[in-house]
Amino acid sequence: MTSRWKEEGTFLLFILPWIVGFLVFFVGPAALSMIYSFADYNSVTPPQWIGFDNYRDLFKDQIYLKSFGNTLYFVFIAVPVTVMFQILISVVLNVEIKGIRFFRTIYYLPYLVPPVATVIIWLLLFGTDGGFVNQLLEAVGIPKVDWFGSEGWSKPLIVTIGIWSSGGPVLIFLAALKGVPAQLYEAARIDGASRVRQFFTITLPMISPTILFSLVLQMIYYFQMFTESRLLNNGGPDYSSSTYMLNTYNTAFRDMKFGYAMAQSWILFVIILILTWIVMKTSNRWVYYESDKGGDA
Amino acid sequence: MTYRFKTPLQYVALLIGLFIFAGPLFWLLSTMLKTQEQTFRYPPEFLPHPFTLSAFGRLFESMPLMGRWIGNSFAIAGSVGLGTILFSSLIAFGFARTKARSRKFLFAIVLATLMIPAQVTLIPLYLLYRNIGWYDTWLPLIVPHVLGNPYFIFLFRQFFLTIPRELDEATYVDGGGYWTIYSRVILPLSSPILVSGFIFSFVFSWTDFFSPLIFIQSEKLQTLSVGLQMIMGQTSHDFPVLAAGSFLALLPIGVIYFFAQRYFIEGVVMTGIK
Repeated sequence: MTSRWKEEGTFLLFILPWIVGFLVFFVGPAALSMIYSFADYNSVTPPQWIGFDNYRDLFKDQIYLKSFGNTLYFVFIAVPVTVMFQILISVVLNVEIKGIRFFRTIYYLPYLVPPVATVIIWLLLFGTDGGFVNQLLEAVGIPKVDWFGSEGWSKPLIVTIGIWSSGGPVLIFLAALKGVPAQLYEAARIDGASRVRQFFTITLPMISPTILFSLVLQMIYYFQMFTESRLLNNGGPDYSSSTYMLNTYNTAFRDMKFGYAMAQSWILFVIILILTWIVMKTSNRWVYYESDKGGDA
Repeated sequence: MTYRFKTPLQYVALLIGLFIFAGPLFWLLSTMLKTQEQTFRYPPEFLPHPFTLSAFGRLFESMPLMGRWIGNSFAIAGSVGLGTILFSSLIAFGFARTKARSRKFLFAIVLATLMIPAQVTLIPLYLLYRNIGWYDTWLPLIVPHVLGNPYFIFLFRQFFLTIPRELDEATYVDGGGYWTIYSRVILPLSSPILVSGFIFSFVFSWTDFFSPLIFIQSEKLQTLSVGLQMIMGQTSHDFPVLAAGSFLALLPIGVIYFFAQRYFIEGVVMTGIK
């Protein structure tokens, strides 16, 4: 009995830093955001409790709804497109030929570029005056395009940034591709299945857990996207590329409506919690397989 | 017969990919070595000739705090890296090696928080830091990350689990407790993953833009990421200067990557995340 409690005590001592961090920097703030989301609070004068007004106002807030809509565009259109691209790239990289390590190194590199630096690179490429793409267009006689200033282009441009920084997910897909048993392909080849057919009947089903996992992770990423949208054109003309997080940031730090911003945070929190729950449910097999392998008691 | 065409086709596909991924980086390097006038030439110059480093001079001239921001970023990211190794390895050891019953439940919470973004608690954290005097200091950029980032707890735990338990038992027989097992057995055998952990946490901290933007007010205390944003605001039409600043922000990461590539790959493949 005593040795069991001693064991628990030792364990809690080892993980004490996590417990402190979790309570102070996670549970506390999450609870606070819940409470303040029912208040009108500008961080200077004391909060006024206003019940569900913040949540009610959100449904009438055109800028909030537009930013939310943009975020849904990223999550449900940009993410699947990006993931398809990542699978394609990982298939291209999944060959054993001379120099392949060089290609893998270079493909991964953009993933490590700091977001602010990436945005600057996009300015150099798509800037209206002196940007590379517009110079090319002008050289062949096409009038230059105001890429960041146009409602139609600002969102797709942000998507191209995400696509360019695909290195991490590509590496995960590459590992998944290598895990597909070679016998399956041999059997299919004997049966006369073409490479394309093999891809759709063997490869895709075999890596589907990874696809799902990656889809959800990237959806979560896009739900919180902030840096690209703020730095490229600060949400774009008429909020055309404003995101959920950018809107929340503006609500808090520009308009000083902290209670209202926290209601938004809380809704985002719930959305992400649901997504997290989905990924935990579906990736259980995979996660626990990894830890069982290590002989966890 | 078909195999004759296969390899060339693979190289064509690889080269198209190379153009997509390396092209923008190449353009950054090229722009950084130009004069402002050269950036407006038609058709665009791929290899600037003559090339010049004058953009760096203009960068440090117009941004006198540039050197300081670089130093700040190194100090913050370095502290986060070291702190991560220290604390996350302790926490991960608790989860991987002790036999406490509450382990499973608490680890499920760690895994759950792995997916939940810091962004949702950001505003209350901002209010918290203002109340406890942490606002406009480096503490918010270091302390929360050091005290057990779930990603690194997971990463280290996965690695510790691969170390045979017989070593623990041998230590125990020799009279050593958990602390001895941690410091004399597990840590010395874990250097590859600790290096991965340092590099990854360094990179996450170095590239972070949101936290310094919100928690730091004084320009002198800012990090390079936010500094770059100020450069964008100040010299938006001097492309070579923008490119030079951007280059300085990615240089340390590029250097670490080329010298320690295998640790990067290890971190990604071990967890399947990021």
